Amino acid sequence: MEIHDRSAGEVTIVQLEGNLDTNTAPDAHAHFDALADGGQVRIVVDFEKLNYISSAGLRILLATAKKLKGVGGQLRMFGLNDTVQEVFEISGFSTIFSVFSTEAEALEGF
Amino acid sequence: MTSLGTLRIGNLHEVLEARRKVRSAVLSLTQQELLATRLATMVSMVGRDLLGHNTSPSLEIRVDDERIGSRLAFRFQGKYSPEIPGLVERFCSSVEQDNGAEGDPTLTAIIRLPMESLPRQDQLSAVRAVLSSKSKDELTAEIQAKAEELEVKNLELQESLDNLRRTTSVKERMEGELNIGREIQLSMLPLDFPAFPHRTDFDVFATLEPAREVGGDFYDFFLVDDDQFLFCVGDVSGKGVPAALFMAVTKTLIKSRATNDLSPASIMTHVNDELAFKNDSSMFVTLWLAVLNLQTGYFKYCNAGHNPPYLKRADGTLVRLDKRHGPVVGAVEGMAYGEDEEELGCGDKAFLYTDGVTEAMDPEGELYEEDRLVTVLESTDFVTVEDMVKASANDVWRFQAEADQADDVTVLAVHYFGDPTGDADQRRLDLVLKNQVQEIGRAVEAFEEFSQRNQLPVPAMRAMNLALDDLLNNVVSYAYEDETEHEIHVHIELGEKRISATIRDDGHPFNPFGSVNPDTSESLEEREVGGLGIHLVEKIMDEVDYHRRINENVVTVVKYIES
Repeated sequence: MEIHDRSAGEVTIVQLEGNLDTNTAPDAHAHFDALADGGQVRIVVDFEKLNYISSAGLRILLATAKKLKGVGGQLRMFGLNDTVQEVFEISGFSTIFSVFSTEAEALEGF
Repeated sequence: MTSLGTLRIGNLHEVLEARRKVRSAVLSLTQQELLATRLATMVSMVGRDLLGHNTSPSLEIRVDDERIGSRLAFRFQGKYSPEIPGLVERFCSSVEQDNGAEGDPTLTAIIRLPMESLPRQDQLSAVRAVLSSKSKDELTAEIQAKAEELEVKNLELQESLDNLRRTTSVKERMEGELNIGREIQLSMLPLDFPAFPHRTDFDVFATLEPAREVGGDFYDFFLVDDDQFLFCVGDVSGKGVPAALFMAVTKTLIKSRATNDLSPASIMTHVNDELAFKNDSSMFVTLWLAVLNLQTGYFKYCNAGHNPPYLKRADGTLVRLDKRHGPVVGAVEGMAYGEDEEELGCGDKAFLYTDGVTEAMDPEGELYEEDRLVTVLESTDFVTVEDMVKASANDVWRFQAEADQADDVTVLAVHYFGDPTGDADQRRLDLVLKNQVQEIGRAVEAFEEFSQRNQLPVPAMRAMNLALDDLLNNVVSYAYEDETEHEIHVHIELGEKRISATIRDDGHPFNPFGSVNPDTSESLEEREVGGLGIHLVEKIMDEVDYHRRINENVVTVVKYIES
């Protein structure tokens, strides 16, 4: 999996490319942790190039969201493909998380 | 909610009996070993506690049928210790307490059953029978549940018979009994065709026309797993209700044995021993049974006193399967049956029938006989097995004309297509993984490469990716208690309209689909570890299946491909 960061004002946009699963989740988790520890607590995750997400991926998103919330930040996401969207709905994540369809919408008022 | 039964749990013996009954009842309702054991443990725990409080406790079991899954409630009445509700919560979805202004307090444990459809009436009847039954000896749980189901049918039949006795003449009564037997007989047959609409590698068609009086024919077929197809035809001696019940037991024994035994000889030997043991009525069944390997086209078969079937090759040649492997089933205990092997090439058909075909009579009393059947089978290349079955049955009806039908007429045919394009190897992927987390990534990569090579539509690929990741993660993380290296076998197969993955591991017995669905309104931490991933797999896949082979867990998931 490839992870690319870019900035939009004080917001960090993290693009995930590939699969977020058992094998890649630990790296992604470390990446999010490093951002939060470095004070970047408003994070938008760009899912447009994400292929699929398994429960291992869901867990690290949840852990990251909690960590950010604890320090006054927030996690938002956009660009979910149909499979990822379905996983979010089945797991109840679509109600827990702030999910947007486009980057502009995710950034609005953040 | 409707009550399924009330159990007295006033002493230790009754508590243990309740434990056994609950296990058996939940098993027959859900086929889920793990859930059945959990709930039985809960009943035993609460029951033992109630005993210590000097009341006369009872347990009522209820079921309801909301559209989304079904709920089962265990309502304990009696005084219980303060820690009990907390403990019960671990076993169920929710707990309700009522302190009982007048009588004893009640504690109700509610369990959401992991079922897609509502429980059927016959399942509920079986559960009622289990809950009200006297204690039985051994037999496997499945056979026992089935036997008890039959017991219920027997009681119902007894009632019908009592009514008949009161109201009808002797002749009408006999006809009534025969009708009931025929109803049981027909209710056991798979009658929906096409039976496997998603399979392109084989087809099956069958018909059974019952005679007015005598007759105990049956047929059955099912996929033991993705690659193994069992089909059989039999004829029970006798008629009416006893023959129908004997048939039901035979069918159940075959099915339960085949789950972990693919040898027709071994299945036949086992079924014979079970049926012959204490067979006071001296009934028996002629049986022809085969297990076809759908990947290779080879099938093993065992003939126990039945009419020899035919193979109709794709080139039109007709071959009679003459081999016999032992006497009729159920007559003599301790027989060892043999088996033979044959091959079905692409486009070949197997044709099975009962003696009702060859012994059909025309109005002058002449028999139909095998020659006429052979003439029909040789007359044309049937495009489908449905054509073949209907053509042969119609020829019998034409011959019989106005004469009475003397015996049941049963015909079953299997069409093997195999792999006509010859690209089967391209469309299959076999992997052997070690039980290490890094190996999951290797499997996911190999699958992605396979998907691209076969141009699998992206949504199906993503769904299968997710399933592989979560199922393998589950095996690697939880299947093994030791530190040694194990092999996990992954088999992926791409069909025309479906993609399937089968994962085999030699870890401790565990049915991932056997636990209660996690409550997705809870936060992640509150859910059981591993539960979410399995829940995702169950929802994203179109079919999921678990069975335990001798020392392996075998999990199969299927995703339908939409073009």
